[in-house]
Amino acid sequence: MGSIFLETTEDQTRGTDQIGGMEPIIATENLTKTYRVGKVDVPALRGVDLVVQEGEFLAVVGPSGCGKSTLLHVLGGLTRPTGGRVLVDGNDFTRMNDAERTKFRRHKIGFVFQRYNLLPTLTARHNIAIAQYIQGDGFNPHRFESVAEMLGIKDKLDRKPYALSGGEQQRVAIARAVICEPKLLLADEPTGNLDTENSQVVLNMLRILNRDFRQTILMITHNPEAASVADRIVRMRDGRIVSD
Amino acid sequence: MIFENILHRPIRTLVSVLAVAIEVGMVMLVVGMTHGMLHETAKRVQGVGADIMVQPPGASMFFGLTQAPMPVKIGERLRQIPHVLAVTPVLFLFNAHGGINLIYGVDMPTFKQVSGGFIYLKGGPFQHPDDILVDDWYARANDVKVGSTLNLLNNNFRVAGIVEHGMGARLFIPLSTAQKLTGAKDKASIFYVKCTDPGYTKAVMNSIKELLPKYELRSIKEYMSLMTSNNLPALNAFITAMVAVAVGIGFLVIFLSMYTTITERTREIGILKSLGAGKRYIMSVILREAGLLSIIGIITGYVGTWLATKVIVATFPTLTVELTVHWAIWAGLLAIGGSLLGAFYPAIRAARLDPVDSLAYE
Repeated sequence: MGSIFLETTEDQTRGTDQIGGMEPIIATENLTKTYRVGKVDVPALRGVDLVVQEGEFLAVVGPSGCGKSTLLHVLGGLTRPTGGRVLVDGNDFTRMNDAERTKFRRHKIGFVFQRYNLLPTLTARHNIAIAQYIQGDGFNPHRFESVAEMLGIKDKLDRKPYALSGGEQQRVAIARAVICEPKLLLADEPTGNLDTENSQVVLNMLRILNRDFRQTILMITHNPEAASVADRIVRMRDGRIVSD
Repeated sequence: MIFENILHRPIRTLVSVLAVAIEVGMVMLVVGMTHGMLHETAKRVQGVGADIMVQPPGASMFFGLTQAPMPVKIGERLRQIPHVLAVTPVLFLFNAHGGINLIYGVDMPTFKQVSGGFIYLKGGPFQHPDDILVDDWYARANDVKVGSTLNLLNNNFRVAGIVEHGMGARLFIPLSTAQKLTGAKDKASIFYVKCTDPGYTKAVMNSIKELLPKYELRSIKEYMSLMTSNNLPALNAFITAMVAVAVGIGFLVIFLSMYTTITERTREIGILKSLGAGKRYIMSVILREAGLLSIIGIITGYVGTWLATKVIVATFPTLTVELTVHWAIWAGLLAIGGSLLGAFYPAIRAARLDPVDSLAYE
């Protein structure tokens, strides 16, 4: 892949770069991430080059330990890359500190996890609304109603996670992820804990979000059926992209 | 979210609230009891009705700490000072047998001139040398009736009367008996001097100073102002130590409670971080939770203190607990301060958690 990164100039705002041609939502160049386990360096990403355009639905597949989750964490700003460059919506994560990445994540990224990751003490309603509160714009009832309606969870809103099925919990998690209209939705094995029927429902939701609302989605999965829902499939092995 | 969190772990919440409540209760009760007893003692001395107290050189304002006898005949010289209406000698006896009591050995005729006389609720004045008068609080606390026998100072006394409280001590025996028991013949520990008018107090004190230059003189007004914990360094140190212990308890329990909360909620903190919650937000969640726990604890502490006071006074009628708004506010502020301080390190620790590690926490 040819470099899409232009050299930055002194007067450019910190953490923001220009991309040549059409601006992709994600662009990585020789992205590396190495974890330190005890006294041993464990490379998780060994030079990932990836470009994702706005509105794409991308599935990243690969065996366990290939670096899929690490890629998702780096693209979500949850962890800092060790080397290379990563631009998300024009923001260079390699040059942003933890607080800047947190702020970026708050406004631009939505996460859906395999284990739903709902707050157990809160009802579905509050689990969704808390994302709006954290974003700082307060509760938006109109947006809330439309998202709950779209995901078919209006009658489940006053239940706590333990009173919801896996599929319902994942739909609440998707609602929480998209309530603030993120530029990028990152899904980490969203159907990994679900049966076939619920998996299909969740994948349909993601498909609708992408098709009807042009939501950019990057989903990592083991499941070939789940991956087939995406427009594009990227395969990873040993911390590298092996096919695109 | 804060309410849901504290409801999620009711036992943890209960223990934290109780710790703060005990902290508030300890502060208020320790201060309330020490101040209450001091003020009640001072009021009783004021209740004698004198304007001036004359004590021998080196005598303490704490009557129980000194008997320091001086000749009773000094009273005759004091009576001759202009504007002196009455003088009564009192000999202090400190009984530590079966309780701690200050006993006044009183000369009934002159004591009546100064105080206006006892108000007898039951029984009457001394009939015999081994008669004793007790006040109503003592009688209630010790279930004493007229005619009962009290063993004090290794001597059996017959209760001749029960008098209204507020006349210096709770127990009174004849002065001659007190002198005999202590071997202080014709001696007294203090002279209470009553002026013809309180306005002459200063003039009379000046005259007494000329007459007895080395003696301890205090107007009752001055004595009342001195009977505060601020003038008693040891008592102040005691109160400070007890308050420190109470705040320490609250601090440690809240610290432990919030610390374990962070460990228990590591994954939830990771979730909040994935949603874009910054360090300040995470810290505020922890601190607000600690703040809410301490506010509930403070309210519980206030109610508990009020109830404990009722129980203490009903069980020990001679004790006085003085609860003040001033110390209630201080106890509340100390509890909130201690709680927030206790939650501060856990809050910082939570804010610093790595989001990826937190999300992977089992």
